[in-house]
Amino acid sequence: MTSAIKYLCILFFFFSLIGCVHTQYEWNNYDTKLYNHYKNPAEREKFIQALKEILDYAEPIGKVPPGIYAEYGFVMYEQGNNQQAVLYFQKEADKWPESRAFMTKMIANANKQAKNQKETVQLPVSPEIDASKTVQKPSSEVSK
Amino acid sequence: MKRIPLLLLLLTLLTLFGCAHDLSKQEKFLSASPRSILVIPVVNNSVDVTAADYMLSTLATPLAERGYYVFPINAVKRVLEDEGLADSSLVHSAPASKLASLFGADAVLYIVIEQWDAKYMLLTTTVTVAIDYQIRDGKTDEVLWENKERMVYQPNGGNNSGGGVAGLVANIIIKVAEAAATKAAPNYMPLAHQANAKALFKYPGPGIPLGPYADEQKN
Repeated sequence: MTSAIKYLCILFFFFSLIGCVHTQYEWNNYDTKLYNHYKNPAEREKFIQALKEILDYAEPIGKVPPGIYAEYGFVMYEQGNNQQAVLYFQKEADKWPESRAFMTKMIANANKQAKNQKETVQLPVSPEIDASKTVQKPSSEVSK
Repeated sequence: MKRIPLLLLLLTLLTLFGCAHDLSKQEKFLSASPRSILVIPVVNNSVDVTAADYMLSTLATPLAERGYYVFPINAVKRVLEDEGLADSSLVHSAPASKLASLFGADAVLYIVIEQWDAKYMLLTTTVTVAIDYQIRDGKTDEVLWENKERMVYQPNGGNNSGGGVAGLVANIIIKVAEAAATKAAPNYMPLAHQANAKALFKYPGPGIPLGPYADEQKN
């Protein structure tokens, strides 16, 4: 009887320890990565890669910390990669209802940016260039 | 032999106390019960230029682990810059309700670093920090929680391991090398972690209560 209580106590003690120490998300040194980004803002690629690393590790095991999908979506948005940006903003919104107001705004921004990009890309394209493209296409197929 | 279960019981109770919250000091926070916290850029009144970046980059982890939704630190910083709020003291002068409405946040965390002084000595470095934490309601602007963290941090700890004279000499050499290394490029990550943990987690005491996502973890 007393030994049962003793074991229960030991078990409980360790469980309470785990409860205090364990982390529920996989951060993968997000803080150091963010700090390094502020220290060397020119190394943007490194920061993007660092965020991707966090997602690659945490996403399959369902331990993506709050804000990380959005953080990655934001760097994609800044890169002009609007498709990826919207994808990750949506993931953040789906996982964290608290983020929805902000993510809805960001998705609208990314869509707006995509539309502007399309317009600026399409404007200088003249019919002549289009024609040359259609001529080139079959020739490249022939060369294969 | 009989004392062991008693000791364990005591320890168990103590750890329980360590995890439980002090309700009286968090009444306002508890009645507002924010689900999400917006971390805004940190105001730095200290002499150390790196202090603000250390603080800003180390806040998401403890807040999220405490059970809150934390807005993406860098994205928030960049959006604020686009809103014309590049300067952190400008951000701090804006009411919490205005900042919160930009992101749909329940609460806003304001942090001011008052002191971050490193004293370099022969064998060790001592850093004295004074950081003010304040969480304000995203709707009413009311201060829900605040904590002033004052601490003295020693990167090299006070671990004088044995080993006689030779050990002592080796220890001193290592410490001198460490001190030289820290002087060149101090790593304040552990300091920032410690300050945040002390300010946010200390229970029973001035820490913040557990947030909505902390409960899921327990069940």
